[in-house]
Amino acid sequence: MAVSKTLSPTAVDTVPQPETLLQVFWRRYRRNTMAVIGLVLVIIFILIAIFAPWIAPYHYNDQNLRNTWQPPSAEHIFGTDDLGRDQLSRVIYAVRTAAIVGLGASALSLLIGAVIGSISGMRGGWTDTILMRLVEIFNSFPAILLAVILATNLGQSVTTIVIALAITGWAGYARLIRGQVLALKNQEYVHAARTLGASEQHVITKYVLPNILGPIAVALSFGIPYAMIAEAGLSVIGVGIRPPEPSWGNLIQLGINKMRGFPYLAIWPTLLFSLTLLAFTWFGDGLQEIFNAKGER
Amino acid sequence: MLGLSFLIFLIKRFAMMAISLVVIISISYTLLRYAPGNYLDTQRAYQTMSTQINQNSEAYRVQRALFEERYGLNKPLYQQIWVYISKAATFKFGPSFQTPSVLIEDMVRERLPRTLIIVLLGIGLALVVGIPMGVLAGFRRNTWIDYIVTGFSMIGQVVPVYVLAIMLILIFAGRVWNILPGGGWSTPTPKPQELILPVLTLALGPIAGIARFTRNQVAETMSQEFIRTARSKGVPEQLVIMRHALRNSLIPVVTTTAPQIAYALVGSVWIESIFRIPGIGQLFATALAARDYPLMITSVVVLALGVMLANLLADILYSVLDPRIKLEA
Repeated sequence: MAVSKTLSPTAVDTVPQPETLLQVFWRRYRRNTMAVIGLVLVIIFILIAIFAPWIAPYHYNDQNLRNTWQPPSAEHIFGTDDLGRDQLSRVIYAVRTAAIVGLGASALSLLIGAVIGSISGMRGGWTDTILMRLVEIFNSFPAILLAVILATNLGQSVTTIVIALAITGWAGYARLIRGQVLALKNQEYVHAARTLGASEQHVITKYVLPNILGPIAVALSFGIPYAMIAEAGLSVIGVGIRPPEPSWGNLIQLGINKMRGFPYLAIWPTLLFSLTLLAFTWFGDGLQEIFNAKGER
Repeated sequence: MLGLSFLIFLIKRFAMMAISLVVIISISYTLLRYAPGNYLDTQRAYQTMSTQINQNSEAYRVQRALFEERYGLNKPLYQQIWVYISKAATFKFGPSFQTPSVLIEDMVRERLPRTLIIVLLGIGLALVVGIPMGVLAGFRRNTWIDYIVTGFSMIGQVVPVYVLAIMLILIFAGRVWNILPGGGWSTPTPKPQELILPVLTLALGPIAGIARFTRNQVAETMSQEFIRTARSKGVPEQLVIMRHALRNSLIPVVTTTAPQIAYALVGSVWIESIFRIPGIGQLFATALAARDYPLMITSVVVLALGVMLANLLADILYSVLDPRIKLEA
């Protein structure tokens, strides 16, 4: 303080403002071209999802039975499907469904994983052993198979698919968060808070969680495309989101069924779906670089 | 290595696998018990006379009671689970709903080899193609070879099998260029051309994964001290690569093959449904559509068991190849 008082006002002005944390992140992030492209595509994806009703030229369920199986034309850029619905509009609405499923399922998985992982890490002992064995069991076999069974059980709407994917997808998050909690638990500031009498809940929400946001963001950016792949996968074997509500899965399924006679329907959903998945992966790789979180999903 | 500690390791791992399977079976049974839409209802829906047999009619109730009696569905849930598990332990799964006269274990015996053929061919192809790709990219880091391999492996790892299947069918079995069959499986022995597209679809993901992993391993090994030492004492570059770099970087590749086998086994569900291959994966998909619960659970158990065995095998192989690694369950 004493030094700054002796400086003249002009000298103070020339001292550059310190970078904010976001600026630091952005400076590191933009070095990776693919990551920037990924980020732009993800933003476009989210904008399409939000503004789907305004962008789409038709409603996703506007049928026109005199105009079925149309190849791409000026009126219907992607053509029309078996009920004469505009395929472009259905693809746009599918983006919205994918956003809901991807974000919803991974957010819910993360929530379950965060609760179980932080309890496991903070408590330790028996609780930890039992919970981690449970995580091991969930990780030892392909969760998608259980999600399939769960989806048949719950029914096949957007909400139930989100729930099915969340219940089967939490184990990875739980292990990630437990590891982070264990690493942070013995940090001095956590000890200090404990000594001052902070409750366990207070320690977790105020000190531990903010410090593990980086690895969580990375895990989410890989979890979201995983949830989308799972959703579409369920549709392809017939237990995904039911039509008429469009999703990547049921568009692709219709494409597969009609591939022989009418290949137009399969092309756009598969290409755009793949592009979406790639965008999230580039975005995730970029995040992983700046947070330097190795491993984990 | 094959001493007492190895035996204990095996026992622990098998115990863990058994517990996992019991948990999976119990969860699946419980879920399916409370699932809406039972087998009889889905069957009635397929029959034209379904409207005539009302759900409240005496005939329907008698039929349902008989059905539940035959499959033990009228017993309490825990008993059903127990009966299933104790029979499954001796590889007996009973008849399925769809084909009361055929035992599920016979179906598994007939179909599992087909799934294994595709999976093993796919993984074999992935190793043969993926490792050289990764090695090449790892030695030529930041050149165009590296960029192509890295780009390819990124796409191959992200794009799901059903999307790859569609793309390959559209390219090789489409209207423009119809050179390969887009599905089917001749019994008893499949034609080689029927295998090409499914195996290729299945292999692309593992090729990508293995290439990427190998590349990173080689790149990391090349930056280590002992490589510099070998070079500085005048060992020819070829020998550095063959004797020092490759051996050290290829051992960990074994660990990445197990998840690839798991990926391929799970992927077989989609590949077999799309390419119409009568294997375990297709069994699962058709069982789902018909709400054939015994068949669903059994195919999940078989697939999950395959995944677990692949992981176990990888752990054992890894410790054999690299004596520094200790087996711990």
